[in-house]
Amino acid sequence: MNEMVTAGPLLPLVAVALPVATGLVAMVLGGRRRRTAMVLVAAAGPALTLVLLAIHLQRHGVADAGAATTALPWVPSLHLDISFLVDGLATFFALLVAGVGVAVVLYSRAYFGPDDAALARFLPSLGFFTTAMLGVVLADHLLLTVLFWEITSISSFLLIGWERDDPEAGRRAMQAFATTGLGGLALLGGVLLFGGATDVWQWSQLADGSTTVNPDGAVVAAFVLMFVGAAAKSAQWPLHDWLPGAMRAPTPISAYLHSATMVKAGVFLVARMLPVFGGLAIWVPLVSAVGATTMLLGAVLALRQHDLKRIFAYTTVSHLGLLMAVYGLGGTTDGHGDPAIGWDLTQVASHALYKAPLFLAAGALGVLVGAKRLPDLFGLWSRSRGGTRASLLVLLVAGYALAGGPGTLAFTAKELFLEAVDQAAAGRPAVLLIGLAGVAAATCNVAIFVRLTTTVLGLRNGIAPDATVPSPAAAPRTADRWSVLLWAPAGAMVGLQVLGGLVPMVWSAVFRPLEAYRHADGLPAPLAPFLHPGLPLFLSLTALAAGTALGLSSWARSEVTDPHSRLWPAIYRGILRGGHRAFHTVQTGHVRLYLTVVFGALLVGIGWATWADPDMIRLPKGISPLESTTGLLLGAVVCATAIALPLVVERVVRVLVLGASGFAVVGLYLLYQAPDLALTQLMFEIISVILFLLVLRLLPRPDKRPRIRVLPRLALASVVGLTIGWMTLLAGHAAEQRVDEPTLGTFFEAHSLGGSQITDGRGGEGRNIVNVILVDFRGFDTLGEITVLATAALGVWSMLPGRRRHHDRLTVDPDTSAASGPETISEAGS
Amino acid sequence: MKPFRRRAGWPVDGPTDGMSSVVLRTAIRLILPLTFMYAVYAALKGHNGPGGGFIAGLVAAVGLCTYRMSYGDRAFHRMLPLHPRWLVFGGLGLAGSVAALPLTFGRPLLRSAATTVHVGGADVHLVSSTAFDMGVLLVVVGVAIGMINRLDEEVER
Repeated sequence: MNEMVTAGPLLPLVAVALPVATGLVAMVLGGRRRRTAMVLVAAAGPALTLVLLAIHLQRHGVADAGAATTALPWVPSLHLDISFLVDGLATFFALLVAGVGVAVVLYSRAYFGPDDAALARFLPSLGFFTTAMLGVVLADHLLLTVLFWEITSISSFLLIGWERDDPEAGRRAMQAFATTGLGGLALLGGVLLFGGATDVWQWSQLADGSTTVNPDGAVVAAFVLMFVGAAAKSAQWPLHDWLPGAMRAPTPISAYLHSATMVKAGVFLVARMLPVFGGLAIWVPLVSAVGATTMLLGAVLALRQHDLKRIFAYTTVSHLGLLMAVYGLGGTTDGHGDPAIGWDLTQVASHALYKAPLFLAAGALGVLVGAKRLPDLFGLWSRSRGGTRASLLVLLVAGYALAGGPGTLAFTAKELFLEAVDQAAAGRPAVLLIGLAGVAAATCNVAIFVRLTTTVLGLRNGIAPDATVPSPAAAPRTADRWSVLLWAPAGAMVGLQVLGGLVPMVWSAVFRPLEAYRHADGLPAPLAPFLHPGLPLFLSLTALAAGTALGLSSWARSEVTDPHSRLWPAIYRGILRGGHRAFHTVQTGHVRLYLTVVFGALLVGIGWATWADPDMIRLPKGISPLESTTGLLLGAVVCATAIALPLVVERVVRVLVLGASGFAVVGLYLLYQAPDLALTQLMFEIISVILFLLVLRLLPRPDKRPRIRVLPRLALASVVGLTIGWMTLLAGHAAEQRVDEPTLGTFFEAHSLGGSQITDGRGGEGRNIVNVILVDFRGFDTLGEITVLATAALGVWSMLPGRRRHHDRLTVDPDTSAASGPETISEAGS
Repeated sequence: MKPFRRRAGWPVDGPTDGMSSVVLRTAIRLILPLTFMYAVYAALKGHNGPGGGFIAGLVAAVGLCTYRMSYGDRAFHRMLPLHPRWLVFGGLGLAGSVAALPLTFGRPLLRSAATTVHVGGADVHLVSSTAFDMGVLLVVVGVAIGMINRLDEEVER
């Protein structure tokens, strides 16, 4: 560390925001001539992010602790502020996200080719996702992480559902969104629970291990919830089915989101949680068991696929399981008391550096020769030249790394994993099961590589195309100078893979400072395992031999579907059916049923309250109903009209009777000196009578069916009416019962003209208390009410069927209609 | 926009819908300006006396509806040559911005400000919530006549 100056949040903030900004600029630039400019601008975003991160590191150094920037307050009341934690873990993931981001943007230029519209849509979407992902890994605040986490779900939804006309893509996008989004909610719940229990809201307070948390129930529950979020994002069993489904997306998206970055968010989160929760008793069993199950399942399913992208999708699932297991074992200790984990970031990098090239090469072959499935590649090597051959080469080298062949970073990573298993197994023999699962998964991976090679070379053991299925019509695109981007970025990544495997010193020099667990002096040399043979090497060689045999054998060659893929459709259908049934049970369309339920609930509520406190409904003494004769008379009119309403048959007469009732109420208001209310009621009665008369003409003829169940309904109506009336009477006098407390009336009387200390300056200096309440004390209510009014009017305008044609007729000026033809008036405003 | 250039005035002779009562028509022509005047008066005075935006809006809407009933929708469209939704949006926008204005001065939402202006010999008491009330007025007018318009079109169909 150069100096202990606390870094400001601005530089990381810019670094996070850059990709989406340049993506949007690229979209604005969109145009046929400027396709190259678009791609270069969009690639500049993540590239500049890399530069900014380098500047930040150069200034402040990589420190495991104290690397948090100062906070930019955002919502202090929610403990939420914008601050970033640029420690080794975050820096590594940010490098991965931005680096692969640059490669994918360049690749997309060649992949989408001349399709301008697709590029103009793709680049900002990808930038949006990159920004979200950078936010997840760099955020220091727990809630900020959750926020960016959800944005990654949203942007990935947009990207998986890329093919808008493909209903299957839409369904898959929904599945991915539902799974990862619900996982995000679990994460939010966990974070809130954890923050509430410990009052720790920053990763930086947790990352260095100086803050110890009490392993009580709340913390354990918080950990489990957060792990559910991580597992959903990282496609862990049994939530993994969304990831193979997400392969409906175009290849650049699959390569970026579903192999290299987004699915790593869950792994990242687990890595963040390890120093905090690694000591919990539940950590090792939960994390490593889920990881090992996923690893085995994914590998077996990958072996039984023929679609290239699905093969790589299931191997991704498998490797994500392996990474989970790596971190799960981090909770155990080796013989020296150190965590049984080492070079975990290199593990993550090794996966990204072969999985992204595999996807990119598969997509390139799809573009170049229309190959989407393994049999399509049969014997392609001898027929290929130029870009196709380069893509095949990348595919094979990356496949070699997938198999964990010696000389690659993946081999080193696998050795490290098996070593960690070996160490952890000293204390817990059950851990050996994880090692066995790892060997089985590695066997499958080797077999996949062997099949890939034999198929591409057209050997006897390869998977030959089925004669009955027509081979895909090759749609070779005319090569331009950009076609080199189909394989060059992937080639660069594979080059790093081999470099890390063959010359580990270079790799160590760059990545060692970022590793939090690096108790080994340096990354092992490629030959080190052979010089010091042990259990790991034995397991590795077993896997290699068994995998080769399996790959060459005729065993387990046919395609199978994952039984878990039935889970989501079943859940989805169940939800739809349940909702349908609930809707039809509750929404019968009979107003009388709704009213019965509402009034019944009201009566039960009031009855319950009365039973608890019988004094509540006792009328205070000294109230005479004969206060005013005029009032009595008007009340009688109101009652008479109310009783007349159900007796009158004609609807029009009913409306008029209802109006009469309203006008009688106006009289009552006047009697009690409430001119505002009287005026409002008067105008309202006029308008509602007009509206009623209009609506009545739209209603169907009243049916003459006999009324059913009159007596119970009459009884219910009477009881409800009497109850409401009595309650109103009580409410009118409730204020007078309490002398000691200031009532609402006196409060508003005192404050509406002047405003005072109590009301914090509120009170709008008006003499009309009603109006001051409306526009000042309860101004927010009024604002809400006029919003409701506007929404209701919008509903009327939009739900009644369109009348455009009618409007045209309406707005024809009678004088000029013959000459000028129709002109719109009302619709012209839009 | 074309509709605004159209002459907004009293209906000329020609085929109109509506009721054909001469008395009603003549009376409405006298009453409508008075209704508007009263609506404006009630809205401005609302802070210190009976009135307010809601009442004023209803008064204006009742006047407009009566006019529409007696002269028909064509004449009504000519007098008010824009869709009522613009009244609603305008009103909502006005009320919302008046409500949000104090935020820019670092004061809470909807906090009203008052000032007294000397015009000639009289003191005029100006309150910011009057503008808020005007927004309410516009929304109420727009919603009422908009709904009646739409339902009436539906009936006439």
